[in-house]
Amino acid sequence: MVQEGHRIDVVGLTKRFGEVLALDDLTFSVRPGVVTGFLGPNGAGKTTTLRCLLGLVSPTAGTATIDGRAYRDIHQPLRTVGAALEAASFHPGRSARDHLRVMALAGGLPASRVGEVLALVGMTEFADRRVGGYSLGMRQRLALAQALLGDPPVLVLDEPANGLDPAGIAWLRQFLRALAGEGRTVVISSHVLSEVQQTVDDVVVIARGRLVRQGSLADLEGGPAAVLVRTPTPARLRDALASYAVTEVDGRLRVEGGTTDEVGHLAHAAGVELHELTAEASDLEKVFLRMTSEVTA
Amino acid sequence: MTADLVRSELRKITSTRLWWGLLVGAVVYTVIQAGANAALAGATPGAGQPATPGLDTATAIRSVYAGSAFQGAYIFAMILGITGMTGEYRYQTITPTFLATPRRARVVLAKLGAHLGVGVVYGLVALLGALVVGGVVILVRGHDLGYGADRLWSSALLGVLAVGFWTMLGIGIGTLIRNQVAAVLVAVFVTFLLEPLATFILAANGLDEIVKWLPTNASAALTSPGTTLLQYLPWWVGGLVLLGYAAVLAGLGVLLSTRRDIT
Repeated sequence: MVQEGHRIDVVGLTKRFGEVLALDDLTFSVRPGVVTGFLGPNGAGKTTTLRCLLGLVSPTAGTATIDGRAYRDIHQPLRTVGAALEAASFHPGRSARDHLRVMALAGGLPASRVGEVLALVGMTEFADRRVGGYSLGMRQRLALAQALLGDPPVLVLDEPANGLDPAGIAWLRQFLRALAGEGRTVVISSHVLSEVQQTVDDVVVIARGRLVRQGSLADLEGGPAAVLVRTPTPARLRDALASYAVTEVDGRLRVEGGTTDEVGHLAHAAGVELHELTAEASDLEKVFLRMTSEVTA
Repeated sequence: MTADLVRSELRKITSTRLWWGLLVGAVVYTVIQAGANAALAGATPGAGQPATPGLDTATAIRSVYAGSAFQGAYIFAMILGITGMTGEYRYQTITPTFLATPRRARVVLAKLGAHLGVGVVYGLVALLGALVVGGVVILVRGHDLGYGADRLWSSALLGVLAVGFWTMLGIGIGTLIRNQVAAVLVAVFVTFLLEPLATFILAANGLDEIVKWLPTNASAALTSPGTTLLQYLPWWVGGLVLLGYAAVLAGLGVLLSTRRDIT
């Protein structure tokens, strides 16, 4: 069904709620065919950005468009953009099936889609129960079903992994990757990087309403590698590793830019006894925290 | 597409249980009024007041059937309309609603249409209740059913339509006051206390010209039970006045809400 991909372009987006500047000249774009993680700490402006994109919030300045069009100008928008915002946007006394029927009628979609999307997210069994009795995970699945109702080329999901158990997150990951593989544009927001780390290809990181970083996840991960090494004779090892920047961390030496192979070889050649030799874990969450706190500082 | 939007709104109403509960309330309230009106017709209120019209008059018959159906149902119909709008904000379903239909004025129009339909059903079921229970009491009192009374059926059907108009009025109120509890309280306060009080004070000062334009009195112009001494508007003007109230409230609500942020 997906003909060609749809881009999302956010240009100079600014939103002021009274005294609070929620979005501050935010500019980024999202390409089709990949899963893009829209990341930032709580209160960074992620939800406000998505609501501006979906025509629910009017920006103070700037634009947010889908293939160059504002959401309000799209005819039968559910066929173009599927969105799942908070998982709480359901009437507790209405069944999932009825909620989707209401949406399908309003969106000009065939009633047959209701059963299809319920099956797609594995909810057929619970579809006739009232939403009030659903777990958070079931609400998330219903929100996803709602987003998929119009078989849209663009999917915008706000914190979709929230409330899912590990099996649910694994399922969601495969599901979203498959959708992106069909050429769709998939945006998922999260305040927890590790939650989406294995799902996303691209990232847009914001903090305090401003863009911090945009690029591929590989770019974000590509920090300087380091090796941690423990030895009873640190002075001799430092001499052997003279070409590296070496610092002492918790009784160990941290060798920046080295690999375990190189450091092990040099230590062996210099006859230095080693008690430990490990590659420093690339802690993405740390990188993420540092990046987002740079803006707040 | 527009018809689908109205059907979407209809399904919103019928897929939760509130409309059913309010309908039961409307029928119970109607039946009590019809029974009381039939039982008390022709009685002397006391304190030297003249007797009310007896069951052999068309006025009394219209009051038992058409008057009770409207009086019993319209408040419940109005509450249905208010919750039809404010419930969307209370449960945040306004988000998916506006995602499906970003042109917000169209949502309000579809709600007005759907609620008019359900309101008319309320009026019809209430009328049926009034015809049955009022009729039984009238028979028990040894009178003729009076189903052929002068202008009974025109008053009854206009009363049913007026009940439908009150659901639209409710949508208008809910569009303007988005907090459900506040909207219901304000509406009930105005229709149960403020309006009768205003009617009483204005009428006592000879200002009938103003009184007849108030919503409840405009409704009475449609049902014309003829149980008060007030001079009502012609029935069709009364209907237009009710529609006008709904349109002004909803229009004002739409104007204020088209650019409002949904957060």
